Amino acid sequence: MKDTRILILASLAGTALLLGGCGKSSVDTATASAPADAAAKAKDAFPGLDADMQRTFKEEPNFYKFKTAADIPADTKGLTWEDSSGQASWADPAAKKGGTLTLAIGDFPGTLRSIGPNSNASFREFLSDYVLEALVRFNPAAPGKLEAELATSWAIDRPNKTVFFKLDPDAKWSDGVPFTTDDIVFSFYLFRTPLLNDPWLNDYFHKTFSSVTVYDAHTFSATLAEVRPDIVARIGDPDAAMPPFPKHFFKDFGPDWVATYNWRIMPTTGAYTIKEEDIKRTTSITLSHVKDWWAEKKPWAIGRYNPDRIRLSVIRDPDKAIEAFFHGDTDLYPSIQTQNWYTKFTDTQPTVASGFTVRSTFYNQIPPPDWGLWINTAKPPLDNLNVRLGIQYATNFALVCQQYFRGDATLQSTDNDGYGWDINPDVRPRPFDPAKAREYFTKAGFSQQGSDGILANAKGDRLTFTITTVYKRYQDVLVILKQEALKAGLEFNIEMLDETTGFQKEEEKRHDIDLGCFNRPVDMYPRYWETDSGDNAYDVPYLPDHSANPARKLKTSTNNLYSLADYDLDQVIKAYDKTETMDQVKELSSKAEKMFYDDAVWVNGWKIPFIRSAYRPWVKWPKDFSPMQTRDVDQFWVMWIDEDEKKADQALFDAGKTLPPQTIVYDKYKQQ
Amino acid sequence: MKLSPQARSQLRRFRSLKRGYGSFLILVVLSCVALLAEFFVGNRALLVKYDGQLYLPVYGSIHPGTDFGLSYAYETDYRALKVAFAKEGKGNWLLMPPVPYGPNENCYPGVAFNPRPPDASSRHYLGTDQINRDILARLLYGLRNSLIFSFGFVVLVYLIGVAIGCAMGYFGGWFDLGMQRFIEIWSLIPFLLVVIIFRAALPQGTSFGLGLLLFVVVMFAWTGMTYYMRSATYREKSRDYVAAAQVLGAGPARVLFHHILPNILSILVTFLPFTCSAAIGSLTALDYLGFGLPPPMPSWGELLRQGTSNLDAPWIVASAFSALSLVLILITFVGEAIREAFDPKKFTIYR
Repeated sequence: MKDTRILILASLAGTALLLGGCGKSSVDTATASAPADAAAKAKDAFPGLDADMQRTFKEEPNFYKFKTAADIPADTKGLTWEDSSGQASWADPAAKKGGTLTLAIGDFPGTLRSIGPNSNASFREFLSDYVLEALVRFNPAAPGKLEAELATSWAIDRPNKTVFFKLDPDAKWSDGVPFTTDDIVFSFYLFRTPLLNDPWLNDYFHKTFSSVTVYDAHTFSATLAEVRPDIVARIGDPDAAMPPFPKHFFKDFGPDWVATYNWRIMPTTGAYTIKEEDIKRTTSITLSHVKDWWAEKKPWAIGRYNPDRIRLSVIRDPDKAIEAFFHGDTDLYPSIQTQNWYTKFTDTQPTVASGFTVRSTFYNQIPPPDWGLWINTAKPPLDNLNVRLGIQYATNFALVCQQYFRGDATLQSTDNDGYGWDINPDVRPRPFDPAKAREYFTKAGFSQQGSDGILANAKGDRLTFTITTVYKRYQDVLVILKQEALKAGLEFNIEMLDETTGFQKEEEKRHDIDLGCFNRPVDMYPRYWETDSGDNAYDVPYLPDHSANPARKLKTSTNNLYSLADYDLDQVIKAYDKTETMDQVKELSSKAEKMFYDDAVWVNGWKIPFIRSAYRPWVKWPKDFSPMQTRDVDQFWVMWIDEDEKKADQALFDAGKTLPPQTIVYDKYKQQ
Repeated sequence: MKLSPQARSQLRRFRSLKRGYGSFLILVVLSCVALLAEFFVGNRALLVKYDGQLYLPVYGSIHPGTDFGLSYAYETDYRALKVAFAKEGKGNWLLMPPVPYGPNENCYPGVAFNPRPPDASSRHYLGTDQINRDILARLLYGLRNSLIFSFGFVVLVYLIGVAIGCAMGYFGGWFDLGMQRFIEIWSLIPFLLVVIIFRAALPQGTSFGLGLLLFVVVMFAWTGMTYYMRSATYREKSRDYVAAAQVLGAGPARVLFHHILPNILSILVTFLPFTCSAAIGSLTALDYLGFGLPPPMPSWGELLRQGTSNLDAPWIVASAFSALSLVLILITFVGEAIREAFDPKKFTIYR
């Protein structure tokens, strides 16, 4: 009958939705500007990959340049070539190779592509982010220093905003094809063509670069639109750009490439690849170590990528994943949430007590995701500074840190913590203070307390705002904030949305307040333009006299979730984005941070200074566990499996014996 | 209102069915307790004597702390006030409900969130949930939400279902045919998808939550009722009394609602308890999946979800599960008894 139908349907669709919610917490959607009609035009007449590349090269002779080795201006202009020799290895050279490491993943991937539509799921880290090698990479153990990977050396020509790269002649794709500048040019073509159907990449590669020049099979240069302190990383680092892709693999590229390439396995320059027979639809995928990997002996690869195979087993329910780990189905549980740490990974948990589970806490140093409340100033009365200041004092994130995160978390001091220096010591989170909040609300006209304790203004408008979030796991945090805000006469309504709808609402700037964050890459300095500049809030934000333009229209699909348009701040950001030295960066970022703070559009949320994980006793780690700028414990593959110990331990457990329980804290990189 | 002899005998028969009638009485008591929950469970005092004046803070507008000589302008913390009064010894006193905790209240402010086991000494008779809220309070206020929801559900579903179903049976022909096809198509629309779309498209505040959810669920639940009403009306329509009423000049509305409806009322009454339990079931299921009432509204589905992800705190899932099963079983017993009482074949025993 009808009611059973409701229930059955409800449970089915519910599962589907939970799966959708397991994605990565990145909101990196940036400015999308791929013109749809251009894509349509390109679709009509696609002559094949090579022909289309040639056509593109002809159409954009100023972007794609082909020269000979003789044209390399290195000698003439006295460029200094840099490399990463002399940087200490941060993995353990004594790591043992071999074995299988089993991990749980939340969902079977929807595609094996790592670019294009729907590719930004959490599985991408096993396809590209954590396994594909880049030209260079920020050395995670030495902040600000670059480490060579596919490139052996590089040289910066500042006056011409150009960086030269020499590629490693040993570099090969996993199918044996050598890696050359052909792949570099192809990658530029790929990331820039609207056929890619990936607006963010298109946009980045259009805006950041002004040309690419090939000299020979292993030398090329890229010219950027702006010279920034991290100019090399902007081309080479995988967090900023995208690692090169193999041209020979994309021979069937065309308007319908998205469907064609959904399940094709891309050759890799990295240590792990997927074999066709290891794709077990809906249940597991296994990565295998590339045979005779070209970089095995390179200094940056020593001690890394140790297990022979990495088995990724699909376990959809997070609670079940924990049970599976305790049961021994997986070897590593990479990230333990605070609540689970205190309720499930306890001393009395049988496998913890028997030594079968090792718990560890690793303090890292990375820019934390900027959790907090993002106030949309385009929604009156949130355009009123006093209302926003009131909200700042009425939001009790301190209690969340103390009570929900049990003191594990601390408040973010500024919007941009974790870059290695205190951006502005004068900027600190405003304390929870209901009385002060009421003062500001009164200033804004909200002075009459209604029968339910909520303030209202003379017109009868209640002080009620909706907090939107897609992070269902933080529902309790919102409940706490709501209850605390009542003390200031402020009502928060809670709106939990699924990712698609929620992100869409935020991008269309229809939210009042958003609880969320942007995951930030390991970077040398903060970025302001994307989130704080008026360019990303309105089409024409200001009148010629710098006051707000009354006829301005909201800009959607940008990361400025505050709809913040502050003319003075914009000027600082503009100057900041042209800075060439770190001193200038520090000076201007301090200024920008203060102005941003005075606008009171972001309520400082929490940050957690460590990663907690659990694993079997035979999963071994380097002395300091992982380099300081580690985001995920499986990011750099520095762990290894001690097969001998595994055999001995398993025999021990089978005999009903135990090992001493182990709880390890790696606090070398702990900051006070 | 004077009952017809037939109705009186049905009522008598219902009361003679011990299990059903007993369940009915328990349900009535439970409903009364839930509707007047503030008197039994809540963080507002029932009665406050302060400086010679009596206050009744249970209902009505909040009393800011300043009303009782406290420094803050937000709602008084009566539990703390009680302690303060006792300390002062100035003759001020207040009376708290037996369980002095509100459903949305963090009962241990400043202490880590942790489900706490049942503890009679602190008056957490069923323990606390994962964010330090009293489970008994959440159950009771959740029951109230369920009851309000199922009341609204029954009224709306019957209103729409009866009107359309009777009209289909009475008018027949193209109207009947058209509506049947429409209902067939309508009932094929995936219900949950629509709930998700609605949740995304419409603004959701706490104040709006229950009504919106009710609207969406009713939109898809009214169709089932129409089939029974349609066939019953068809059957009644061919009887002589309908023809007589028509000859006397009664319009369709009068014939339907004054003549036919009272004769098919027994169907409605028999279905009533099952519709109620369906409503409670749907609300709980939706809440469990996270598409139900907006947080932090107390709901059983949310408590069940918490319980299943905190199996190390078994009192959460045990409370929610027992409460849900109990209420659904009681309703089913009542339903069985009603069905038996209205059964024209008097001597059959409903098994």
